[in-house]
Amino acid sequence: MVMVLRKRVWRMIKKNKGRYIGIVILILVGSLYFTAATGISTTLENMVVGFAEEYRQEDLTFSTDKPIQDIAALEEESGALIEAYRQYDVKLPNGELRLLSPGTKVNIPAVTSGRGLENPGDILLDPHFCQTQGLTIGGQIELNGKTFRIVGTMAVPNYVYIIKNLRDVLPTSGFGIGIVSGADLSAFPEASNEAVTVYGARFQDRKNIDAQTTKLHGLLSQKGYSLSEWLDSENNKRVSMPWGNISSMKSMSFPVATAFFLLSCLIVGVMIMRTVKSDGVVIGTLYAQGYRRRELTRHYMTIPVLLSAVGGLAGTLLALPCVRPVVNSMLASYILPDKGNTFSPLNLALAVLVPVALIGLSSFLAIRRILRKTAVDLMKGDEQKAKVNFIERALRLDRLQFNTKFRIREQVRSIPRLLFLVLGVSAASMILLFGFTYNYSMDVVMDKGSITRYQYPLEYNFKEIQNLQERAVPKGAEPYNALRCYPEGRESVEFYLVGMEPDSIGFKVNDMQGNALSRDQVNISSPLASRLKLTEGDTIRFVNKLDGKSYSLAIDGIVEAYGEQFVYMPFDEFNRMTGQPVGSYSTVLSSHEIDFDESLLSGVMDARNPEAYEDLNALTTLIVTSVTALAVLIAVIILFLVTSLMIDENRNTISLLKIFGYRGKEVTNLILNSSTPAVFVGFWLGLPFMLAFGNVLYGYVAEITNMLIPMTVNPLYVLISFALIFAVYEITKRLCGRKLAKISMSEALSELLGRSQYTPTNLKKSYHFFVPSINRQRKSMYNN
Amino acid sequence: MFLSVSNLTKSYHTGIVTHVLKDVDLKMERGQIGVILGPSGSGKSTLMNIIGGVDRADGGTVEVGGERITDFNDNQLVEYRRERVGFVFQFYNLMPNLMVAENIEVVSNISKKPLKTDEVLSAVGLSDKKNRFPRELSGGEQQRVSIARAIVKNPKLLLCDEPTGALDLETSRGVLSLLQKVNAQFGTTILMITHNVAIAGMAHVVFRLRSGEVEEAAHNSEIIPAERIEW
Repeated sequence: MVMVLRKRVWRMIKKNKGRYIGIVILILVGSLYFTAATGISTTLENMVVGFAEEYRQEDLTFSTDKPIQDIAALEEESGALIEAYRQYDVKLPNGELRLLSPGTKVNIPAVTSGRGLENPGDILLDPHFCQTQGLTIGGQIELNGKTFRIVGTMAVPNYVYIIKNLRDVLPTSGFGIGIVSGADLSAFPEASNEAVTVYGARFQDRKNIDAQTTKLHGLLSQKGYSLSEWLDSENNKRVSMPWGNISSMKSMSFPVATAFFLLSCLIVGVMIMRTVKSDGVVIGTLYAQGYRRRELTRHYMTIPVLLSAVGGLAGTLLALPCVRPVVNSMLASYILPDKGNTFSPLNLALAVLVPVALIGLSSFLAIRRILRKTAVDLMKGDEQKAKVNFIERALRLDRLQFNTKFRIREQVRSIPRLLFLVLGVSAASMILLFGFTYNYSMDVVMDKGSITRYQYPLEYNFKEIQNLQERAVPKGAEPYNALRCYPEGRESVEFYLVGMEPDSIGFKVNDMQGNALSRDQVNISSPLASRLKLTEGDTIRFVNKLDGKSYSLAIDGIVEAYGEQFVYMPFDEFNRMTGQPVGSYSTVLSSHEIDFDESLLSGVMDARNPEAYEDLNALTTLIVTSVTALAVLIAVIILFLVTSLMIDENRNTISLLKIFGYRGKEVTNLILNSSTPAVFVGFWLGLPFMLAFGNVLYGYVAEITNMLIPMTVNPLYVLISFALIFAVYEITKRLCGRKLAKISMSEALSELLGRSQYTPTNLKKSYHFFVPSINRQRKSMYNN
Repeated sequence: MFLSVSNLTKSYHTGIVTHVLKDVDLKMERGQIGVILGPSGSGKSTLMNIIGGVDRADGGTVEVGGERITDFNDNQLVEYRRERVGFVFQFYNLMPNLMVAENIEVVSNISKKPLKTDEVLSAVGLSDKKNRFPRELSGGEQQRVSIARAIVKNPKLLLCDEPTGALDLETSRGVLSLLQKVNAQFGTTILMITHNVAIAGMAHVVFRLRSGEVEEAAHNSEIIPAERIEW
């Protein structure tokens, strides 16, 4: 490029630095969010998936009534690696430690610090337990009179999320795990009686896990083993919790980040297009001086390419250190080997190149379009300015007050600018509303969802199926039986089929109007009905996940529910249909604590303190907070860019108004307040956009996380969003008000002179062009 | 004396000092038409801007209608421009997105006692074009709108910067004639910048400016009607 033009690039950037800084920030934030979101999910995925693969995470855990005799034969028949490991719980003064024998085929422990087991008396502990108990590597721990040397910390694939019982929801305070050699475990005199053998199975063929699980279940049943605690990894919280987080992160962050990224590129593309367009007179002049199209294209491409490259690169670089704190916050809940941050080179390249490509392309198209015109046409820039569009022509505003007329005409002056403002505000409002709505929807799920469904707050889950004849349920408690099922042909939509007694009161079972539904019929939860598009009277066909048997039920009622997926049916009919003895149950729901033998239980859920479950929502809160902050930022930048664009495109008008005697406030009122209706319309358009976008996204999330979050719009949040957008608008007006105040009266006068530069008869005015510094000085004096 | 400029000085400091106005003296009676003649760089526009209250002098005084505007603060200057002085520009400076009537309302909107838009339009002969956009008008018509916009506030002083600079002879005559009519009909004092010596014939008083100094101030004994001006 010609050197002198290169100098002009810097001057153009300096002249409109506010606008270009806004553009760089927008690109920067887009790249930052994209890189951070993909970086977090890739890092977590690498940790979780990498750990699961490398250390052979189980697909299934189960216990049997007697030890499996020929594991090798069963492995061959089922195509699974099966590991029998022993576990023994040791009570401590301020906690409890579960000792596990080390897995060699499945659930192999990974040493995360220190060294592995080498000598008798060595123990590896989970790092959280070490931390809470104040233990350090090299120290000792006494367990039931035996002293162990702490040689390191470890992570075990089937205890990534450490909960004591399989069906527990929250971790038990003071509970941790340790690995000791099989010999050390057997050396506990009580272990022979109290230690439990648990099996972990991992299938060699990594496809069709569900079918292989069913096959293994069949093989074990055929061999006469009675199975308990049969739980696949998808439903085993010890394993599935971080997977769920990755899914949530991916499903929520990636599309939002990508949408935001593309949106910022689009906004900047439009801005650059308008900037290039407004420079038409200069382009025409350079063209007339003999510059080639290629040279001019390259010249005008420099700014957008430079800005997008700087923004993209800065955003990407700034995102790199942002990943670690989020990953660390996840690692605080899970025990995983920290493999460091992982960034996909493709995503990093996309974060830098997509803005360059998109913005470069839009700028290129705009420049080429402008360069199609002749130099003479381009130099008649004022004629272009003087053109009126069809809306302006059609408007008859005689009866309105001047200020109203002026504002309306100001807005319709440029339809693309108006559309840009309306759609930009819509986009920002949409993201803001989406953030709030998602947050509120999750609150609703928490407030009205599974926890609050419990009228009896204590749920005791048994390892093995119980029977009312052998173990009666006390007063104030109810038996339930449940199976994990999926609709025929849709294995991803898992739900619980629950058998409940006809007079059950432990669960709230109300219809959509809030009326109690009969328990003596088949009721389906509304999110499940919605996903399967079922209504009352329809038939649901489904498969028992455990044994692959198919069933069908006619639906009698739809239960108002939030996120939960279940089908309720009468207790006796459930047992009859699934071939279980009369009175069989797996769960007891109780209004009060019951002193069951702990060894019988696979978990207790306590819904007496719903706040305790709020921590599970931390990731959602993080996403919502970042989405909300982003929306506000987008709103600020869009409003700032459009307002600043409007001021720039109206410099002459503003200057003239000042000459005519308009005061600063009056000019602000006329020019800046003219956008108010557009911002208003933009905001309210954001609501249907959000509903459409949200429905698509929620459906997508439901497919990944197997949970349909009901999208619930809270009018209060809508009002807060409205107030927030208008607060941003007011702040932007104040910021731009300063810029407006700086426009001097001399600009209109210089404009008059400026026009004469191409008119030979007016060359006498050239004094002003050869003494630009005088003009600048004048401008500062003319400022009013 | 309606307009009195005494010892007016103005310089620009840009590394080197440029004296744009050097002790300029200028006086006009109420209701007169004055013309300032001078080549480019003589300081005409600067003088006009200071009189119009859009620029400030370094020294000297400007009195308009008995008020010393050089002592005015910013608010007083705004008030002055709002009520007492009208501007006509060489390139009309109409707002392209406002119709003719709306362009006039831009000024009447902030004036305390404006004339009626229709009355002003009728005075400039554009009653039938009130709902046209500037682009749909000829250059002469656009300048008439500009004059209408300037006089709608019924200013005591009308400042015209090369009002015929962008117009052909016939159209220029029409515009100048209109200015004479405004002067006669509303009693408006008019001060006009031009480099066209022929226009001087229609003025009561003519000031020749050269290098920032008033070289000559002449009073015409005979005022030529604009229609008869030749150049």
